[in-house]
Amino acid sequence: MSGIDYDTPYRVRETLVAAQRLAWRRIAEPGAWLDGERRVAAAGAVRAARGCALCRERKQALSPFAIEGEHQAGGRLSAAEVELIHRLTTDPGRLSRSWAEGILAAGVSEEAYVEIVGIVGMVMVVDTFRRALGLPEFDLPAPVAGAPSGYRAPGARRHDAWISLVQPDDVVESDGALYGAAASPVVKALSLVPEAKRAYWDLAEEHYLPGSEMTDYATGVRAIDRMQMELVAGRVSALHQCVY
Amino acid sequence: MLRASTEVSGAEFDLGAITGEAAEDGGIAGGVLLHGFAEAVTLGDEARTGELRDALADRLGEAAMIDAAAIAAAFHGFVRIVDATGAPVAGAAGGRVTAEFREALGIDEFYGACNP
Repeated sequence: MSGIDYDTPYRVRETLVAAQRLAWRRIAEPGAWLDGERRVAAAGAVRAARGCALCRERKQALSPFAIEGEHQAGGRLSAAEVELIHRLTTDPGRLSRSWAEGILAAGVSEEAYVEIVGIVGMVMVVDTFRRALGLPEFDLPAPVAGAPSGYRAPGARRHDAWISLVQPDDVVESDGALYGAAASPVVKALSLVPEAKRAYWDLAEEHYLPGSEMTDYATGVRAIDRMQMELVAGRVSALHQCVY
Repeated sequence: MLRASTEVSGAEFDLGAITGEAAEDGGIAGGVLLHGFAEAVTLGDEARTGELRDALADRLGEAAMIDAAAIAAAFHGFVRIVDATGAPVAGAAGGRVTAEFREALGIDEFYGACNP
Protein backbone atom coordinates (compact mmCIF):
# COMPACT_ATOMS: atom_id res chain seq x y z
CA MET A 1 0.00 0.00 0.00
CA SER A 2 1.45 3.33 -1.06
CA GLY A 3 1.36 6.34 1.26
CA ILE A 4 -0.13 6.56 4.75
CA ASP A 5 -3.88 6.46 4.31
CA TYR A 6 -6.70 4.61 6.05
CA ASP A 7 -9.52 3.26 3.95
CA THR A 8 -10.99 0.93 6.56
CA PRO A 9 -14.30 0.03 8.17
CA TYR A 10 -12.91 1.69 11.34
CA ARG A 11 -12.49 5.38 11.96
CA VAL A 12 -8.84 5.97 12.84
CA ARG A 13 -8.34 9.27 14.59
CA GLU A 14 -6.67 11.84 12.37
CA THR A 15 -3.94 12.61 14.91
CA LEU A 16 -2.79 8.99 14.69
CA VAL A 17 -2.71 9.11 10.90
CA ALA A 18 -0.78 12.40 10.97
CA ALA A 19 1.77 10.96 13.41
CA GLN A 20 2.32 7.93 11.19
CA ARG A 21 2.74 10.15 8.11
CA LEU A 22 5.32 12.23 9.96
CA ALA A 23 7.17 9.10 11.08
CA TRP A 24 7.33 7.75 7.53
CA ARG A 25 8.60 11.08 6.25
CA ARG A 26 11.24 11.18 8.95
CA ILE A 27 12.39 7.64 8.18
CA ALA A 28 12.90 8.68 4.55
CA GLU A 29 14.85 11.85 5.33
CA PRO A 30 18.52 12.03 6.33
CA GLY A 31 18.89 11.57 10.06
CA ALA A 32 21.71 12.58 12.36
CA TRP A 33 24.05 9.72 11.41
CA LEU A 34 22.41 7.77 8.59
CA ASP A 35 21.35 9.07 5.21
CA GLY A 36 17.85 8.46 3.89
CA GLU A 37 18.83 5.40 1.89
CA ARG A 38 20.34 3.66 4.91
CA ARG A 39 17.41 4.66 7.12
CA VAL A 40 14.90 3.17 4.69
CA ALA A 41 17.13 0.10 4.38
CA ALA A 42 16.98 -0.23 8.18
CA ALA A 43 13.20 -0.07 8.04
CA GLY A 44 13.20 -2.75 5.36
CA ALA A 45 15.43 -4.94 7.52
CA VAL A 46 12.84 -4.81 10.31
CA ARG A 47 10.37 -6.45 7.95
CA ALA A 48 12.93 -8.88 6.56
CA ALA A 49 13.69 -10.01 10.13
CA ARG A 50 10.19 -11.38 10.54
CA GLY A 51 10.85 -13.88 7.76
CA CYS A 52 14.48 -14.58 8.67
CA ALA A 53 15.28 -18.28 9.09
CA LEU A 54 18.23 -17.58 11.42
CA CYS A 55 16.11 -15.36 13.67
CA ARG A 56 13.41 -18.03 13.81
CA GLU A 57 15.93 -20.68 14.81
CA ARG A 58 17.50 -18.43 17.44
CA LYS A 59 14.13 -17.50 18.87
CA GLN A 60 13.37 -21.17 19.47
CA ALA A 61 16.78 -21.92 20.97
CA LEU A 62 17.38 -22.01 24.71
CA SER A 63 20.07 -19.39 24.13
CA PRO A 64 20.11 -17.25 20.99
CA PHE A 65 23.90 -17.09 21.29
CA ALA A 66 24.20 -20.83 20.66
CA ILE A 67 23.07 -20.53 17.04
CA GLU A 68 25.43 -19.14 14.43
CA GLY A 69 24.60 -18.15 10.88
CA GLU A 70 23.92 -15.21 8.62
CA HIS A 71 20.90 -13.01 8.26
CA GLN A 72 19.50 -11.94 4.94
CA ALA A 73 21.72 -9.15 3.57
CA GLY A 74 20.52 -5.61 4.21
CA GLY A 75 21.74 -3.64 1.18
CA ARG A 76 23.91 -0.75 2.39
CA LEU A 77 23.73 -1.95 5.97
CA SER A 78 26.68 -3.74 7.52
CA ALA A 79 26.33 -7.27 8.89
CA ALA A 80 26.48 -5.88 12.44
CA GLU A 81 23.73 -3.35 11.68
CA VAL A 82 21.57 -6.15 10.27
CA GLU A 83 22.25 -8.24 13.40
CA LEU A 84 21.18 -5.28 15.56
CA ILE A 85 17.95 -4.82 13.64
CA HIS A 86 17.04 -8.49 13.38
CA ARG A 87 17.72 -9.36 17.02
CA LEU A 88 15.95 -6.26 18.28
CA THR A 89 12.95 -6.98 16.08
CA THR A 90 12.56 -10.67 16.79
CA ASP A 91 13.97 -11.31 20.28
CA PRO A 92 14.27 -8.04 22.25
CA GLY A 93 13.83 -9.67 25.65
CA ARG A 94 17.10 -11.63 25.39
CA LEU A 95 19.60 -8.95 24.49
CA SER A 96 22.66 -8.52 26.68
CA ARG A 97 25.43 -6.06 27.42
CA SER A 98 28.02 -8.30 25.73
CA TRP A 99 25.83 -8.54 22.65
CA ALA A 100 25.52 -4.74 22.45
CA GLU A 101 29.27 -4.38 22.98
CA GLY A 102 29.81 -6.83 20.12
CA ILE A 103 27.69 -4.71 17.80
CA LEU A 104 29.73 -1.62 18.70
CA ALA A 105 33.03 -3.49 18.41
CA ALA A 106 32.02 -4.60 14.92
CA GLY A 107 32.08 -0.99 13.80
CA VAL A 108 28.58 0.35 14.47
CA SER A 109 28.97 3.71 16.16
CA GLU A 110 26.95 4.44 19.27
CA GLU A 111 25.15 7.16 17.35
CA ALA A 112 24.20 4.87 14.45
CA TYR A 113 23.16 2.20 16.98
CA VAL A 114 20.76 4.62 18.65
CA GLU A 115 19.41 5.97 15.37
CA ILE A 116 18.75 2.45 14.09
CA VAL A 117 17.02 1.49 17.34
CA GLY A 118 14.72 4.47 16.88
CA ILE A 119 13.87 3.39 13.35
CA VAL A 120 13.14 -0.15 14.52
CA GLY A 121 10.83 1.30 17.16
CA MET A 122 8.94 3.46 14.67
CA VAL A 123 8.44 0.68 12.14
CA MET A 124 7.27 -1.66 14.89
CA VAL A 125 4.67 0.86 16.07
CA VAL A 126 3.21 1.52 12.63
CA ASP A 127 3.33 -2.08 11.41
CA THR A 128 1.85 -3.43 14.64
CA PHE A 129 -1.00 -0.94 14.54
CA ARG A 130 -1.80 -2.01 10.99
CA ARG A 131 -1.65 -5.67 11.98
CA ALA A 132 -3.93 -5.04 14.96
CA LEU A 133 -6.53 -3.66 12.56
CA GLY A 134 -6.09 -6.54 10.11
CA LEU A 135 -4.58 -4.26 7.48
CA PRO A 136 -1.55 -4.79 5.20
CA GLU A 137 1.71 -2.99 5.90
CA PHE A 138 2.28 0.36 4.26
CA ASP A 139 4.94 0.50 1.57
CA LEU A 140 8.16 1.96 2.90
CA PRO A 141 8.86 5.53 1.80
CA ALA A 142 11.35 6.45 -0.90
CA PRO A 143 14.62 7.78 0.55
CA VAL A 144 15.19 11.53 0.49
CA ALA A 145 18.66 12.67 -0.58
CA GLY A 146 20.82 14.71 1.75
CA ALA A 147 23.57 14.51 4.33
CA PRO A 148 23.09 13.52 7.98
CA SER A 149 23.43 16.34 10.51
CA GLY A 150 26.12 14.54 12.51
CA TYR A 151 24.70 15.76 15.84
CA ARG A 152 25.53 13.88 19.03
CA ALA A 153 24.27 15.27 22.33
CA PRO A 154 27.43 16.71 23.91
CA GLY A 155 26.29 15.88 27.43
CA ALA A 156 25.80 12.17 26.69
CA ARG A 157 27.86 9.86 28.89
CA ARG A 158 28.19 6.12 29.36
CA HIS A 159 26.64 5.86 32.82
CA ASP A 160 25.44 2.37 33.74
CA ALA A 161 23.48 1.59 30.57
CA TRP A 162 24.99 -0.20 27.56
CA ILE A 163 25.14 3.00 25.53
CA SER A 164 25.59 6.67 26.29
CA LEU A 165 22.59 8.60 27.54
CA VAL A 166 21.89 12.19 28.44
CA GLN A 167 20.93 12.78 32.06
CA PRO A 168 18.47 15.66 32.55
CA ASP A 169 21.15 17.88 34.13
CA ASP A 170 23.40 17.38 31.08
CA VAL A 171 20.97 18.65 28.44
CA VAL A 172 22.31 21.67 26.53
CA GLU A 173 20.48 24.18 24.37
CA SER A 174 21.62 22.66 21.08
CA ASP A 175 19.93 19.36 22.03
CA GLY A 176 16.52 20.99 21.71
CA ALA A 177 13.65 19.75 23.85
CA LEU A 178 14.60 16.39 25.35
CA TYR A 179 12.74 15.89 28.61
CA GLY A 180 9.58 17.03 30.30
CA ALA A 181 8.85 16.25 33.91
CA ALA A 182 9.91 12.61 33.76
CA ALA A 183 13.15 11.01 32.57
CA SER A 184 12.68 7.30 33.16
CA PRO A 185 14.96 4.74 31.45
CA VAL A 186 12.65 4.47 28.45
CA VAL A 187 12.48 8.26 28.05
CA LYS A 188 16.28 8.54 28.14
CA ALA A 189 16.90 5.57 25.86
CA LEU A 190 17.51 7.45 22.60
CA SER A 191 18.74 10.73 24.08
CA LEU A 192 22.26 10.37 22.64
CA VAL A 193 20.73 11.35 19.29
CA PRO A 194 18.05 13.92 20.11
CA GLU A 195 16.56 13.83 16.58
CA ALA A 196 16.02 10.10 16.88
CA LYS A 197 14.52 10.49 20.32
CA ARG A 198 12.03 13.13 19.20
CA ALA A 199 11.09 11.23 16.02
CA TYR A 200 10.29 8.10 17.99
CA TRP A 201 8.46 9.84 20.81
CA ASP A 202 6.32 12.03 18.57
CA LEU A 203 4.95 8.81 17.10
CA ALA A 204 4.77 6.81 20.31
CA GLU A 205 3.06 9.48 22.38
CA GLU A 206 0.28 9.76 19.84
CA HIS A 207 -0.31 6.02 20.12
CA TYR A 208 0.05 5.86 23.91
CA LEU A 209 -0.11 9.12 25.83
CA PRO A 210 1.23 12.66 25.44
CA GLY A 211 4.10 13.33 27.84
CA SER A 212 1.95 15.86 29.67
CA GLU A 213 -0.52 13.08 30.56
CA MET A 214 2.03 10.45 31.54
CA THR A 215 1.71 10.95 35.28
CA ASP A 216 -1.99 11.76 35.20
CA TYR A 217 -3.42 8.40 36.17
CA ALA A 218 -6.97 9.67 35.85
CA THR A 219 -6.41 10.99 32.33
CA GLY A 220 -9.36 10.91 29.98
CA VAL A 221 -7.36 11.71 26.86
CA ARG A 222 -8.07 8.32 25.29
CA ALA A 223 -11.25 6.33 24.75
CA ILE A 224 -10.15 3.76 27.33
CA ASP A 225 -9.23 4.63 30.90
CA ARG A 226 -5.75 4.44 32.34
CA MET A 227 -6.25 1.02 33.94
CA GLN A 228 -7.39 -0.40 30.62
CA MET A 229 -4.46 1.24 28.86
CA GLU A 230 -1.93 -0.14 31.31
CA LEU A 231 -3.44 -3.61 31.11
CA VAL A 232 -2.76 -3.63 27.36
CA ALA A 233 0.69 -2.13 27.89
CA GLY A 234 1.51 -4.57 30.67
CA ARG A 235 0.46 -7.63 28.70
CA VAL A 236 2.47 -6.60 25.62
CA SER A 237 5.52 -5.87 27.80
CA ALA A 238 5.21 -9.16 29.69
CA LEU A 239 5.01 -11.17 26.46
CA HIS A 240 8.18 -9.44 25.33
CA GLN A 241 9.80 -10.28 28.69
CA CYS A 242 10.46 -6.59 29.11
CA VAL A 243 11.60 -5.95 32.68
CA TYR A 244 10.91 -2.22 32.59
CA MET B 1 1.58 2.51 35.77
CA LEU B 2 -1.33 0.12 36.23
CA ARG B 3 -0.78 0.06 39.95
CA ALA B 4 -0.48 3.84 40.11
CA SER B 5 -3.68 4.33 38.12
CA THR B 6 -5.61 2.09 40.48
CA GLU B 7 -4.23 4.01 43.45
CA VAL B 8 -5.72 7.16 41.95
CA SER B 9 -9.02 5.62 40.91
CA GLY B 10 -9.40 3.62 44.11
CA ALA B 11 -10.25 0.57 42.04
CA GLU B 12 -9.43 -2.97 43.07
CA PHE B 13 -7.61 -4.97 40.45
CA ASP B 14 -6.02 -8.37 40.04
CA LEU B 15 -2.48 -8.51 38.63
CA GLY B 16 -3.58 -11.78 37.06
CA ALA B 17 -5.25 -9.57 34.44
CA ILE B 18 -1.75 -9.02 33.06
CA THR B 19 -0.37 -12.51 33.53
CA GLY B 20 -3.56 -14.11 32.23
CA GLU B 21 -4.35 -15.85 35.49
CA ALA B 22 -7.39 -13.76 36.39
CA ALA B 23 -10.64 -15.65 35.88
CA GLU B 24 -12.70 -12.56 35.11
CA ASP B 25 -11.88 -8.99 34.08
CA GLY B 26 -9.52 -8.51 37.03
CA GLY B 27 -11.43 -5.41 38.11
CA ILE B 28 -10.89 -3.69 34.76
CA ALA B 29 -13.80 -3.13 32.37
CA GLY B 30 -13.31 -5.38 29.37
CA GLY B 31 -10.17 -6.78 31.00
CA VAL B 32 -10.41 -10.26 29.48
CA LEU B 33 -10.96 -8.84 26.00
CA LEU B 34 -8.17 -6.29 26.32
CA HIS B 35 -5.77 -8.90 27.66
CA GLY B 36 -6.65 -11.29 24.85
CA PHE B 37 -6.38 -8.61 22.19
CA ALA B 38 -2.95 -7.47 23.40
CA GLU B 39 -1.80 -11.08 23.44
CA ALA B 40 -3.18 -11.95 20.00
CA VAL B 41 -1.59 -8.87 18.42
CA THR B 42 1.76 -9.59 20.05
CA LEU B 43 1.74 -13.26 19.09
CA GLY B 44 0.67 -12.47 15.53
CA ASP B 45 -2.50 -14.55 15.77
CA GLU B 46 -4.50 -12.94 12.97
CA ALA B 47 -7.72 -14.92 13.46
CA ARG B 48 -7.90 -14.27 17.20
CA THR B 49 -6.93 -10.62 16.70
CA GLY B 50 -9.85 -10.22 14.33
CA GLU B 51 -12.34 -11.88 16.66
CA LEU B 52 -11.24 -9.82 19.65
CA ARG B 53 -11.11 -6.62 17.60
CA ASP B 54 -14.79 -7.03 16.79
CA ALA B 55 -15.63 -8.08 20.34
CA LEU B 56 -13.82 -5.06 21.77
CA ALA B 57 -15.57 -2.68 19.40
CA ASP B 58 -18.92 -4.20 20.41
CA ARG B 59 -18.21 -4.10 24.14
CA LEU B 60 -16.24 -0.86 24.59
CA GLY B 61 -16.81 0.97 21.31
CA GLU B 62 -14.81 1.43 18.14
CA ALA B 63 -12.71 4.32 19.47
CA ALA B 64 -11.72 2.19 22.46
CA MET B 65 -10.68 -0.65 20.19
CA ILE B 66 -8.59 1.76 18.10
CA ASP B 67 -6.88 3.09 21.22
CA ALA B 68 -6.20 -0.43 22.48
CA ALA B 69 -4.61 -1.24 19.12
CA ALA B 70 -2.57 1.97 19.25
CA ILE B 71 -1.29 1.25 22.77
CA ALA B 72 -0.38 -2.32 21.88
CA ALA B 73 1.52 -0.91 18.89
CA ALA B 74 3.27 1.74 20.98
CA PHE B 75 4.60 -0.87 23.38
CA HIS B 76 6.03 -2.93 20.54
CA GLY B 77 8.27 0.10 20.10
CA PHE B 78 8.85 0.99 23.76
CA VAL B 79 10.08 -2.46 24.75
CA ARG B 80 12.63 -2.40 21.96
CA ILE B 81 14.08 1.03 22.55
CA VAL B 82 14.53 0.39 26.25
CA ASP B 83 15.75 -3.20 25.89
CA ALA B 84 18.37 -2.09 23.35
CA THR B 85 19.93 0.44 25.72
CA GLY B 86 20.31 -1.78 28.78
CA ALA B 87 19.31 0.93 31.20
CA PRO B 88 19.31 -0.24 34.82
CA VAL B 89 16.03 -1.84 35.81
CA ALA B 90 16.11 -0.01 39.13
CA GLY B 91 15.00 3.20 37.44
CA ALA B 92 11.92 1.71 35.81
CA ALA B 93 8.50 3.17 36.68
CA GLY B 94 10.14 5.90 38.72
CA GLY B 95 11.74 3.28 40.96
CA ARG B 96 8.33 2.20 42.30
CA VAL B 97 8.61 -1.45 41.28
CA THR B 98 8.71 -3.45 44.51
CA ALA B 99 9.99 -6.98 44.96
CA GLU B 100 6.43 -8.16 45.62
CA PHE B 101 5.20 -6.55 42.43
CA ARG B 102 8.01 -8.12 40.40
CA GLU B 103 7.25 -11.53 41.86
CA ALA B 104 3.51 -11.24 41.20
CA LEU B 105 4.13 -10.43 37.56
CA GLY B 106 6.86 -13.01 37.15
CA ILE B 107 9.35 -10.33 36.12
CA ASP B 108 12.20 -12.00 38.00
CA GLU B 109 11.86 -14.98 35.67
CA PHE B 110 12.58 -12.83 32.62
CA TYR B 111 15.97 -13.12 30.94
CA GLY B 112 16.64 -9.42 31.29
CA ALA B 113 15.91 -9.39 35.02
CA CYS B 114 19.61 -9.81 35.74
CA ASN B 115 20.39 -6.93 33.32
CA PRO B 116 23.17 -9.05 31.71
